[in-house]
Amino acid sequence: MILLEINNRIIEEALTLKFNNAAAGNKPEALDITIADFDGVLYHISNPGGDKTKVQVSISLKFYKDLQEHGADQLIKREYGSFLTTPESGYNVSIVFDLEHLPANRDEVVKKAGLLKRNCFASVFEKYFEFQQREENSQKRAVIHYRDDETMYVEAKKDRVTVIFSTVFKDDDDIVIGKVFMQEFKEGRRQYQQAPQVLFSHKEPPMELQNTNAKVGDNIGYITFVLFPRHTSPAARDNTINLIHTLRDYLHYHIKCSKAYIHSRMRAKTTDFLKVLNRARPEPKNVEKKTFSGKTFKMN
Amino acid sequence: MSTTLQPYLKAVRQTLTAAICVENFSSQVVERHNKPEVEVRTSKELLLTPVTISRNDKEKVLIEGSINSLRISIAIKQADEIEKILCHKFMRFMMMRAENFIILRRKPVEGYDISFLVTNFHTEQMFKHKLVDFIIHFMEEIDKEISEMKLAVNSRARISAEEFLKRF
Repeated sequence: MILLEINNRIIEEALTLKFNNAAAGNKPEALDITIADFDGVLYHISNPGGDKTKVQVSISLKFYKDLQEHGADQLIKREYGSFLTTPESGYNVSIVFDLEHLPANRDEVVKKAGLLKRNCFASVFEKYFEFQQREENSQKRAVIHYRDDETMYVEAKKDRVTVIFSTVFKDDDDIVIGKVFMQEFKEGRRQYQQAPQVLFSHKEPPMELQNTNAKVGDNIGYITFVLFPRHTSPAARDNTINLIHTLRDYLHYHIKCSKAYIHSRMRAKTTDFLKVLNRARPEPKNVEKKTFSGKTFKMN
Repeated sequence: MSTTLQPYLKAVRQTLTAAICVENFSSQVVERHNKPEVEVRTSKELLLTPVTISRNDKEKVLIEGSINSLRISIAIKQADEIEKILCHKFMRFMMMRAENFIILRRKPVEGYDISFLVTNFHTEQMFKHKLVDFIIHFMEEIDKEISEMKLAVNSRARISAEEFLKRF
């Protein structure tokens, strides 16, 4: 698979199982699953208060505070309205489903539950897309520390929205492979005119972030996406958010795949070399010799 | 550029065939020890003149001979950053498995990417002309392999960028 999925398959499958079970009239069973997702996000599927007829899905994001500043709460309420409940302790958002009163559009609800993480992120983007659609400049830049060392900056101007990801390459070799990938992203516009403009800056933050205390370092890279009105329009908005919010994970996933592929090639080549080297060994001569009286013995 | 490859490999092959004439020689310095003289380098009279065969300033082979051992060091062509790290990874991968490789040295000589050490014990167990064949085969295959891996990384980058950007 080349593109990463934006929904969480585990949630979808667990919920579908429970809903189908309940619809078929079977007795509900207890449920307690803790799931991890990209960017340090944790989900918890359980029965609230031990009540087996209710299924609760909670999400915890370390950076939820940053998202709340930009209206995450309102967006979550908009999407999950009737299912929202007080967040479980240790988690940021909880939605609960009653198995005895299943919603009519089960599949749609399950899909929405799988998109919890995406919807949390979506609020920031929607707010800044709105700014751009109304042709205003955003006064403040949005800063989301979505990973320990990595930050996302969003800013809106009259005719564009700029999203800047800072990413850390833990390995020196990753930097070189990352640069190859970013070179291809930069040139993507030549083939696909509709694509946003992508810029990459290694070690230093790009011009837009000068004078902020953005990190500087040998293994830090900054990826800038310039989104034009055609990407931020209400029709294209959801698609754009879907693609952009997992970019950093997409890049690192493919870097790791390349390294794994290189590794398997090296292993194959090494066995090849060993085979050629072993041709240099003479075959062991197993000579059977007989003495005059008929005794046989083997010589090695 | 590739017109220089065949003469280069021919020169290496002939030098190796000449240098791989090694015989058993116990250490003159320590009683009852038998060490590869090209590594120890204690006695000047046991060492032969080292020969460097260069295809250009980036690709060369250094062959150092002695009475009971032979050291071959290869510098591999690395045109850009990605070839450099691929070469580095590959060499490190093989050198970690040096025991399996028998004639491979765990660390390359200064200024080179990979080194082999062939002693008289190896030539007693293996055919000399086949050992030389192996080294030449190795030199040819390494360049091919590194270009193929670089191609794989580049095509993966292109396809993933394309897939991502065409969805906008």
